[in-house]
Amino acid sequence: MQKGEMYVGWSTKDDVRKRGGSGGLVTSMLAAALEKKFVDAVVVLKKINEFEAVPIITSDVNEVLNSAGSLHSVPSNFAKLIANRNLKVALPAKGCDVRGIIEQGKRNAINLDNTFIVGLNCGGSMHPVVTREMLEVMYKIKPEDVHGEEIEKGKLIFETKDGKEHAITIDELEEKGYGRRESCRYCTIKVPNNSDIACGNWGVTGDLVGKATFVEINSEKGAKLLQNAVDAGYVQVQKPDEKGVAMRAKIKGVMEDLGKKWKGKVFVPIENGRLEYFRKELEHCIDCGACKTVCPTCSCGDVSKCTEYHFRGDAYKMSMYHLVRFLHLADACIGCGQCSDVCPADIPLTRLYRRFANPVQEQLKYEPGMDMQKPPYFEVKLNE
Amino acid sequence: MSAEAVAATTPAKTDGWEPKIVAFCCNWCSYGGADSAGMGRFQQPASTRIIRVMCSGRIDPLHVFNAFLEGADAVLVTGCHIGDCHYVNGNDKTKIKYKYLENVVRELGIEKERLQLNWISASEGERFANFIRDVTAQIKKLGPSPLKPEGVA
Repeated sequence: MQKGEMYVGWSTKDDVRKRGGSGGLVTSMLAAALEKKFVDAVVVLKKINEFEAVPIITSDVNEVLNSAGSLHSVPSNFAKLIANRNLKVALPAKGCDVRGIIEQGKRNAINLDNTFIVGLNCGGSMHPVVTREMLEVMYKIKPEDVHGEEIEKGKLIFETKDGKEHAITIDELEEKGYGRRESCRYCTIKVPNNSDIACGNWGVTGDLVGKATFVEINSEKGAKLLQNAVDAGYVQVQKPDEKGVAMRAKIKGVMEDLGKKWKGKVFVPIENGRLEYFRKELEHCIDCGACKTVCPTCSCGDVSKCTEYHFRGDAYKMSMYHLVRFLHLADACIGCGQCSDVCPADIPLTRLYRRFANPVQEQLKYEPGMDMQKPPYFEVKLNE
Repeated sequence: MSAEAVAATTPAKTDGWEPKIVAFCCNWCSYGGADSAGMGRFQQPASTRIIRVMCSGRIDPLHVFNAFLEGADAVLVTGCHIGDCHYVNGNDKTKIKYKYLENVVRELGIEKERLQLNWISASEGERFANFIRDVTAQIKKLGPSPLKPEGVA
């Protein structure tokens, strides 16, 4: 196996295959890596219910196998979790997770040689609180009754404990302000080719649909990881058919175009009163610093330039804290949406940060988290 | 029509109001440029407060934000011409840093005249005086900065 190759694979453990999102390949691959001492630890989400899960770093194979199954309404971002820990670790990651991990790698907080990133195709995730509200308002079912959830053919389907299925199209949900998180709507990294190995159900055809995972190997590390799982007997793979490869590329293209369309819809240029807009949005800020703590590209630590400006008691018209964050994120923001998620004052921070990041990243032709290219400022060379 | 002529034909927003301009000057070039403007007796408005830094690369975008928040109507970033830096490539770094800063300041909705970058060498006294004169005229037309705190003139 080597870089650039594609496979369709599934778990050899029937239980995992049944519970897993699509064939349980990722779960089994992670378990195999742990079993064969390929890595010291694996990061997985420990499910509490359909809307809650806690990320854990574990060395227990059973814990990994138990984590099988997808959770669309638990947005996670593992970059900060494994930063500054010096672990040899394998972890599943969405596009934005991967970008965060690579950015932490650039900042020397994560050793990328020791990190095996299993990328997951991601069409978007949902905020748990919004999802609960959506269930009551749109689906007219109690969140406690939900037994399972699936996204299929543009529809979000919830299965209740009595076995009934409730489906509404995602477009309709998003029109009403529910559905995916805003940052997911305009995200254009649907297949994480910046990870070591990209996995997902797009491109699986025939009777394997729902029972297998399509895999693209993006690096030597990824090839080793998959080979290890196959050798250990955890995973079975076969070559994909041409139809599947074409279908995957098509879905990817459609999703990315949709993301671009959303981008245009969300970031309508503000002609007049831009300063007032930002001041109004930031008015409710309580200076808690949660957006910085959670930010996967920030690596400053507890004592940093921006937090120096908390509680200054000045008469400034705008918070210096936010100005520093705007500037620092102009070339670093990966648009993961975590800052908006954690903000206790419900400030749409990701949208604000992206307003500054979009023009800068476009102008400097720099996309953070996609490769190991350093930010433009560090590329200034000595003359001669 | 030069900036001065424009300023002369349009009435100023506030009569008798003098803008406050903060100019960051590099010790080796533009600070010398300000000196030679004085020595050459080139007239310029007394609207500028010069802050000397050892290199334009030293100018942290925070300094610029702070100047705005403390009530500056315009902030000027000046340094040596590209290739002339006393510290080899300090101004190359300024150039990139300024791109970020410029974008953030523009996106915030602050007029583009309020933040300007200019390369001025130590011998270009006239250029320095003209620059200050132009900026002062532009800012007079724009009026006080929207970021100026309450009660600051």
